[in-house]
Amino acid sequence: MNVTTCMKRNVVSIPASTSIREAAAIFVKKHIGLLPVVDKNDKPVGVIGIRDLLKLEMPDFVNFVMDVDFVHDFGAVEDTRPPAATLKKPVRSLMRPVITVEEDCGLLRAYSLMLQQNLHDIPVVSKDGKLIGIASRVDIGVTILKAWEKVD
Amino acid sequence: MDTFSIALTFVIFFGSLILIFWEKVNRIIVAVCGSVAMLVAGKLLGFYDEELAIEAIDFNTLGLLLGMMILVAMLEPTGFFEYLAVLAARASKGKPVRLFVLLGIVTTVLAMFLDNVTTVVLIAPVTILISEILGVSPLPYLMTEALLSNVGGVATLIGDPPNVLIGSAAGFSFNDFLVYSLPIVFFSWVGAIFLLKQLFKKELSKRPRRSKAVMKLSPAESLNQPVIARRILIVLGAAILLFFVHHLLHVEPSLIALGAAAVSLLWVQPDIQEVLKKVEWSVLVFFGSLFIMVGGLEHSGALEMIVKLFEGASGMHPVLFGVLVIWIVAALSAVVDNVPITIALIPVIEGLGNAGMDIAPLWWALAFGAGFGGSGTIIGSSANIIVATLSEKTRTPITSAIWIKRGLPVMIVTCAIASILYVLAYPLF
Repeated sequence: MNVTTCMKRNVVSIPASTSIREAAAIFVKKHIGLLPVVDKNDKPVGVIGIRDLLKLEMPDFVNFVMDVDFVHDFGAVEDTRPPAATLKKPVRSLMRPVITVEEDCGLLRAYSLMLQQNLHDIPVVSKDGKLIGIASRVDIGVTILKAWEKVD
Repeated sequence: MDTFSIALTFVIFFGSLILIFWEKVNRIIVAVCGSVAMLVAGKLLGFYDEELAIEAIDFNTLGLLLGMMILVAMLEPTGFFEYLAVLAARASKGKPVRLFVLLGIVTTVLAMFLDNVTTVVLIAPVTILISEILGVSPLPYLMTEALLSNVGGVATLIGDPPNVLIGSAAGFSFNDFLVYSLPIVFFSWVGAIFLLKQLFKKELSKRPRRSKAVMKLSPAESLNQPVIARRILIVLGAAILLFFVHHLLHVEPSLIALGAAAVSLLWVQPDIQEVLKKVEWSVLVFFGSLFIMVGGLEHSGALEMIVKLFEGASGMHPVLFGVLVIWIVAALSAVVDNVPITIALIPVIEGLGNAGMDIAPLWWALAFGAGFGGSGTIIGSSANIIVATLSEKTRTPITSAIWIKRGLPVMIVTCAIASILYVLAYPLF
């Protein structure tokens, strides 16, 4: 079985010129965690995830203080918002390099790649490099687990 | 006396100092190369050899530093430093000026007995945390911590590497520092904190957005290993008590520090590899290399020449000479590491003593200059460099220009207060 059997085909993607504010609105509207960024030929050029946006709001101290057990209230940090100038920037400035699998990739191979690279969703591309779908860990994981039902 | 040897040792030593100042090559690499160059030159020209080089190393200084470094390396992961900062935050009830003073006091007291760098490395992140929770800029607090740790370190024999060096060379006891240095440091510290409060008036008068959030910080949870922390603090306390009487027991401070390290290693039995990894070996190598270089200067006769130069100035009134030493050493320490300056000046002062000058007050002038001078620029002390580097990762980075505006006045005021008290107390030294 390969990854096309479980991937979502109606994948939402954005061009690199989309502003961070617009990207945030798409995350909210579609309730998704990862947006592939594509060029005009539908080829993935990067990804942007909710965590990349949330990093803008994370307090500086999480970079210095390893253990925040003793901090029960983040106080003023809870109501900070990224400045308007940041939100206006294109996602190009924030996106990460994309890791994709081709459509004939096996399920376990795709899953192990996600574990190693710490990915939660992985875009799937066709042989000519076009974005054709996206699969999450849950999509792939449950498809693998389904096979267990046949074990006596 | 061979003029060529003198000239060569001068070139090696001052060339190394310039390279250290230039900062393109790591200072420890410069020092190691310089000391090897000195030794090779000495062997070829016959004024210096391996035995003399080993003799030139002050093992009392190295032992004291190593002992304290091991203790701090063990205390660091316990969360004790964070615990104190969190206590200060809660006690401040989120009021900026009160927080500013309390964090200043915590940093100063820690810096008096422990390594300044460690103190700042551990207090500064919690400071950023507290100020972010409050919704205020961490800049005034961070700068104040670095500056006050520079000032506080001058107060005790173990507070600052130059003091360790001076104490060892001059034979000053722990109590000598408490009697002669601590009072002057106290007044300079008070001057510094009042000045800083004025300099940061604008930032400190801003009301925090969420002052109640600091009350939810839990000190107990920040202390990760309370049992280990207690054991190390007991040993550290005992060591400090022994420091008070070390001269009566005829024991060098290095033995006390290494003894304390040994006892706490045995009591806590930590992962020794982890502890030794945290010891700043590079600093110890830096010290050793500088000692070897200065030993070369001494044996080539170069130091004698410098001493003669200073003797020309000794026609000057001794009190004025001392004040001049404070300011010149301070100005040098503001731009170069104060350790090489101190290591180079120690034999010069000893030489002046052999020439019949009363040098006891000069040692103190050297200590004040080397300690307070570090506040002057962003690169003046390791503590400054650390808070500046940390702040670069926050939304309010500390720049060189900010430091000149806020740090240099502190250097000038602390040196001025020290100079006035030095003049007044001169007959007592």
